Amino acid sequence: MSKERVSRRQFLSYTLTGVGGFMAAGMLMPMVRFAVDPVLKAEAGGDFIATPKKVSELTDEPVRVDFTFKQKDAWYESDVTESAWVYKDGDKIIALSPVCKHLGCTVNWNSDKEHPEQFFCPCHYGRYTKDGTNIPGTPPLHPLDVYPYKEKDGFLYLGKAKPRKEA
Amino acid sequence: MKWISQEVETYLNAKEYVDTAVVPLYSVAIGGEMKESAEAAEFIGLLTTHLERQFTGRILLFPPFTYLKNDSGEKVLGELKNWEVNILEAEFKHVFYITSDIEWRTRENELDGAVIWVPSIPLEQMNDSQKLKMMDSQVKQLLALFTQKWHQKA
Repeated sequence: MSKERVSRRQFLSYTLTGVGGFMAAGMLMPMVRFAVDPVLKAEAGGDFIATPKKVSELTDEPVRVDFTFKQKDAWYESDVTESAWVYKDGDKIIALSPVCKHLGCTVNWNSDKEHPEQFFCPCHYGRYTKDGTNIPGTPPLHPLDVYPYKEKDGFLYLGKAKPRKEA
Repeated sequence: MKWISQEVETYLNAKEYVDTAVVPLYSVAIGGEMKESAEAAEFIGLLTTHLERQFTGRILLFPPFTYLKNDSGEKVLGELKNWEVNILEAEFKHVFYITSDIEWRTRENELDGAVIWVPSIPLEQMNDSQKLKMMDSQVKQLLALFTQKWHQKA
């Protein structure tokens, strides 16, 4: 036993401070967590989705690549299939979103006989050059979105399509 | 555009570009032919979804017009005509009906819109990528049909 005895009053105040501290921390922690939550959140859109396309099969002619991923809409989970027009430009791969920037139809490659080697939207005759730039005078006002891509085990992986700066 | 509030709003803001209404026709049989009826509805549903994806900016996909298979043809036709009148009044220039019920081929002449009859293909045996491929080829054929109609009345 030490010489300095802990008095009843001291003992009670120590315990109260301790318990009070825990309670305060218990209340404050979630609040702090909420406040810094946006910082802790993992960057969405960083996920790359596997496509069934081998990188070695790509040529300088755009081909359609379909890929499927799961999307959660409230409690309903569904498989969503998206497409991309993919081709090789030198040793770079270009993956363009097929969604027309006008009103969202699907554009096709080389399907308009009068304007070959272009992306063509059958809805309102919008056109894009091979690199996805919108052709002035046709309805679309922005170039096609671009998918970031990765190569893994020989297969092409695509991320989330990103809009481009004005051409 | 689909029949959901967000896309209907887009439609309302871009009315001048969306001049085509697509109405799936579902025949509902209750009793013995229930399965075939469901199969056809599933097929037409998938097909119109794909079609909508191709032509998002120019068509509005209506909720399906659903009727009982054993209802009298006249009654069903009358009701669809009523839909048509309302659709055409609302600034739509083209109406397409998509169905796998053969009865509509004989009733086509009575309608202003075009009836597209597609024989239903059972989907239960197929995996997703097969389904996708098949729908793709179907939509490609419809694409030609749609663009032709659009050119005619452009």
